[in-house]
Amino acid sequence: MTARPLTPPPLQGPTAKEKKYDRQLRLWAASGQQALEDAHVLLLNGGSPGVVGVETLKNLILPGIGSYTIVDGNVVAEKDLGINFFLTDHSLGKSRADETCKYLTELNPDVQGYPVQKSLRDFLGSAIPSDAPDRLSSLTNPNALDKYSLVLFVASKQNYPLLRLVSSYCAAKALPLFYLHSLGLFSHFSTQLPDPFPIVDTHPDPTSTQDLRLLDPWPELQAFAKSKTENLNTLSNHDHGHVPYLLLLLRFLTDWRESHDGNPPSEYREKKEFKSLVESKARTDNPEGGEENFDEAAAAVLKSLNKPSLPSGLRQVLEDPSSKQLQQDSANFWLIANAIQKFHQKHGSLPLPGALPDMKAQSQDYIQLQNIYKAKSRRDIEEVTNSLRSTEADLKRQTPVEAKEIESFCKGAAFVKLIKGQPLPVYAPNAKAPPTSLQNILDDEDSLLPIFLAFQAYDHWLHENSNTTPQTDPSAPFSSSSSSSSEEAKPPLEALKQSATQTIDLNAAGDGPQINADDIMPRIEPILAEFVRAAGAELHNISALTGGMVAQEVIKVLTKQYIPIDNTCVFDGIASKSAVFRL
Amino acid sequence: MEPATTKPVATKRERYYRQSLGAVYGRIKQSRVLMVGAGGIGCELLKNLVLTGFAEVHIVDLDTIDLSNLNRQFLFRHEHIKKSKALVAKESAGKFNPHVKLEAHHANIKDPQFNIDWFASFQLVFNALDNIDARRHVNKMCLAANVPLIESGTTGFNGQVQVIIKGKSECYDCNTKETPKTFPVCTIRSTPSQPIHCIVWAKSYLFTEVFGTSEDEVPEFDHTEDSENAAEIENLRKEAHALKEIRQSMGSDDFPRKIFEKVFTDDIHRLRNMEDMWKMRQKPTALDFETVSKSNGGEVGDSVAKRDQDTWNLAENFTVFCDSLRRLSRRLQQAQGGEANGVSHVLSFDKDDDDTLDFVASSANIRSIIFGIEPRSKFDIKQMAGNIIPAIATTNAMTASLCVLQAFKIMRGDLNKAKMVFLERSGARVVNSESLRPPKPDCPVCGIMSSRLVVDPLRATLNDLVQGILKSDLGYGDEFSINNEVGTLYDPDLEDNLSKKFSELGVGADSFLTIIDDDEENPRVNLSLSISEKSLPEDSKPVVLSQSLDIPRKRTVDTSQAVEHTNGTTEPPAAPGKRKRAGSSSLDEPGIEGQKVAKRGKVQDTDQEDDLILVDGPSQGAIVIDD
Ligand SMILES: [Zn+2]
Repeated sequence: MTARPLTPPPLQGPTAKEKKYDRQLRLWAASGQQALEDAHVLLLNGGSPGVVGVETLKNLILPGIGSYTIVDGNVVAEKDLGINFFLTDHSLGKSRADETCKYLTELNPDVQGYPVQKSLRDFLGSAIPSDAPDRLSSLTNPNALDKYSLVLFVASKQNYPLLRLVSSYCAAKALPLFYLHSLGLFSHFSTQLPDPFPIVDTHPDPTSTQDLRLLDPWPELQAFAKSKTENLNTLSNHDHGHVPYLLLLLRFLTDWRESHDGNPPSEYREKKEFKSLVESKARTDNPEGGEENFDEAAAAVLKSLNKPSLPSGLRQVLEDPSSKQLQQDSANFWLIANAIQKFHQKHGSLPLPGALPDMKAQSQDYIQLQNIYKAKSRRDIEEVTNSLRSTEADLKRQTPVEAKEIESFCKGAAFVKLIKGQPLPVYAPNAKAPPTSLQNILDDEDSLLPIFLAFQAYDHWLHENSNTTPQTDPSAPFSSSSSSSSEEAKPPLEALKQSATQTIDLNAAGDGPQINADDIMPRIEPILAEFVRAAGAELHNISALTGGMVAQEVIKVLTKQYIPIDNTCVFDGIASKSAVFRL
Repeated sequence: MEPATTKPVATKRERYYRQSLGAVYGRIKQSRVLMVGAGGIGCELLKNLVLTGFAEVHIVDLDTIDLSNLNRQFLFRHEHIKKSKALVAKESAGKFNPHVKLEAHHANIKDPQFNIDWFASFQLVFNALDNIDARRHVNKMCLAANVPLIESGTTGFNGQVQVIIKGKSECYDCNTKETPKTFPVCTIRSTPSQPIHCIVWAKSYLFTEVFGTSEDEVPEFDHTEDSENAAEIENLRKEAHALKEIRQSMGSDDFPRKIFEKVFTDDIHRLRNMEDMWKMRQKPTALDFETVSKSNGGEVGDSVAKRDQDTWNLAENFTVFCDSLRRLSRRLQQAQGGEANGVSHVLSFDKDDDDTLDFVASSANIRSIIFGIEPRSKFDIKQMAGNIIPAIATTNAMTASLCVLQAFKIMRGDLNKAKMVFLERSGARVVNSESLRPPKPDCPVCGIMSSRLVVDPLRATLNDLVQGILKSDLGYGDEFSINNEVGTLYDPDLEDNLSKKFSELGVGADSFLTIIDDDEENPRVNLSLSISEKSLPEDSKPVVLSQSLDIPRKRTVDTSQAVEHTNGTTEPPAAPGKRKRAGSSSLDEPGIEGQKVAKRGKVQDTDQEDDLILVDGPSQGAIVIDD
């Protein structure tokens, strides 16, 4: 008889939640989900109409972020209703933060939403000295943003000083920051990630992760290959057609080395030659007229016969000062990186990931082969772990790094990525267009970079004109002081063009390539014209799309899985294309 | 809810999109569009359509809401589970936007009520479906009705949008879809070598024999090699029969033992005795019920079953096996007991039904242990057995918006600017588009001529079509055939039907006839006739074409383009399980978000769930991102 557990497992507990999230757990696993649930996302939605921020939140609430806060000092206007899905007729005249929060929270009862009906200025701190906008002390409460895991800043009229403030605050606190624009048929977002921002679980393409060590087999593998291929020529057709292709390659490599001074085929020509050699060894007098295992072997030659090298992403990690100069409070990531660096130094190779591709084989052979790879992988991880444990002891660290964390780092080491976050590439009064960007536009007539420059010009124009419009109606970026209910004034195209020219000229004045603004303006003008036509309006559909893109990157950043966009993405709704730049 | 707002107010709230969309907005406001599917893409699409000002949206979906939809299908809540997706989507979206006319049909898009005339009443159709079969049907109907179709699908982080316009762009069927994966019967029943073989065995053989309708035809089974193994196939048939006998004792205390000893002891002994089979392979190890049950560590089955991320050992699998078998037996018997008599109940495997999943996971793992194959966690097995396609809100949001951007082009009449759009997980592009490609001349669906055939049901005979239309009006020679989905109705050697009326031949309204020209010299492309019934005046022919036709001739097909390469890299070694086999039968339609996946510059014809089945192999059909 077995005893029942004292308390029966809850019916609506983790199981129901797991079921709800099943389809996404397939992408980021329980660890990613936990990271989402621990996160608190802050949306600074001072702009008008701000749908892009709300749509982003929707895509974060559905998969279950822990909580979110919306800061929005606006009141719901009639025009919001036609474009913002999370408002109803009853919302009219009420706080937009409260109302969107109310309907967003209905999406997922697991998520906590907090509305803050304050202007960004009030929320962040009232006294922002214009001469020192990035001084942290200018926040009324210097810890105002500490409880958040990530900040979304939607472009608004009051952009510049507040954005600079938030940007430097986030940089100091290693808090990821996203800056969003959506206007007419165009949108843009930039990310400001912490420096360093390491990612272990990059989810590389499964076919690229196989590290078979064919050029550098360890004794067990070599011995197995020998035992299975020694009498290759006398094997029955069945056996011959079932020798795993890895073992075939190992055997023919041994043969090749004997006739090539011990060297494996290295350059392309040699590999081609080796491939032909493999192909020539297949039996064709059988009923099938060929052998699949030999086909597999030949197909793998170009891809799998490479000297182990240190991938650039990992090299960057291992050479980072944080990895070399460990402190007692160094992040686990650096401790493991340090141990892997030592391993690599000693062996000239990384810990073996141990995964094996599928191949034509007898199941018994395949399983044995699998075990040989796994055993080696385990030994390697053990070695890394041991060296890490002794470092831990040297540093007198209290909590040991979990074995699981070491293992997943070891297995994905070749694909570890380190992003050196940098400041948000946004407008500043004396900002230059990014150094290489203008040349990029001239060189590539399909470049979407003009979209970024257009948004820069737009921000510039907003900033220049922020003092001439009343502060009391931040929701209407283009309204002139007199007309309140009639059509909002459009930004004058000429003024926007002037802003764009200024930005370009500023850049061209530097040491970079000599660039004439006239060459570039024709590419920017149509975008500025669309801004003018849109008159500050978002198109729901473009904001929905941008909200999808931004949320996807937010999820990557919060889960520290997959490689997020670093650092700027623009979308062109006319061509249905996006582009990513590092600016 | 407020009553419909007065016009000035409505105009005011339209301001934003009027400003942004300009002239096309007028047309959008008048338009009537159809959305097929109210799932992941559908929910997002409906929101975007409503907030873009589309005047009338019809929604068709047969599905009901499941808990696992709620992480992305945002029009649905917990209290909507088991309700109609179409109806709830209409209700939720309408609540926020009273100004749009929404009509919902909780129905199968293949129902006869949705005929060509009905399709033709829309300016535009959106496919937001999760299965190939319905996609193909809508594709065919839109081609016949000459309505532009925006086809979409997602898989994990990837998405794709394709604009299909009759005669102008590739249709859904211009690129053949790979048939889902199948396995030789003997691999599954006698010589498994991978976890997936044992999972297919547990799901498609054991579960079906014990709880389902045991039919000989299981879609995952590939029978092409049967003739080579006739004797073994016969043995397997006997084995299945014996299992069916045991089914009679369902509910008795020793039922789990009987099943266990049948499939994990006796059948394995029989296999072991077939010496020929094990010359090259490791023999399986039969299990003893007593021994295994004594090794039980004391944890009860439903407690083990909760640890779905762990890989269970033999004892743990055993306890889940017995426990789930009892749970399922109880359910089946309760269902049987409720019926008067004669009705036989069955259970079917459902990946989201834990009882069925526990049974499949534990029996697959026990079989794996017997054959020296690595067991898997329940979480992994769920994905492999259930053909689960990962699905998230973000991808659906982006894909749906891309559909609407393409709709703008169609509404504006800019068909030349319509695009094929791809969505990728990462890289420099994320969203990328390319021009539409022209229809493939040899496409069996759109590379044909189609027309409406008006038939007077009281008078028309097949001969009226053969002589009166095809030969005299359209100039067909003697060599052609008339076919419908049942078979051939007429060819030069089959003239018996000529005097029969259409109704006698079962050719009714909204059915299709295909005329295949077999002229040796210069055959016409196939002609597809959709039937309308109407009583025609006495002086008119009893069969008339709705339009005059000029049927083009078939072009020779350039087969050299048939091979498409992947990113210019060398192909990875093919996985043994992945080889296509001739004549393979197809899997049942998996419940997935989308089959087609994007690959820059080409449509990936590989079914995505296929790759997910074979988790331990190189995922050949997977999307390779070469950035
Ligand atoms: Zn076609």
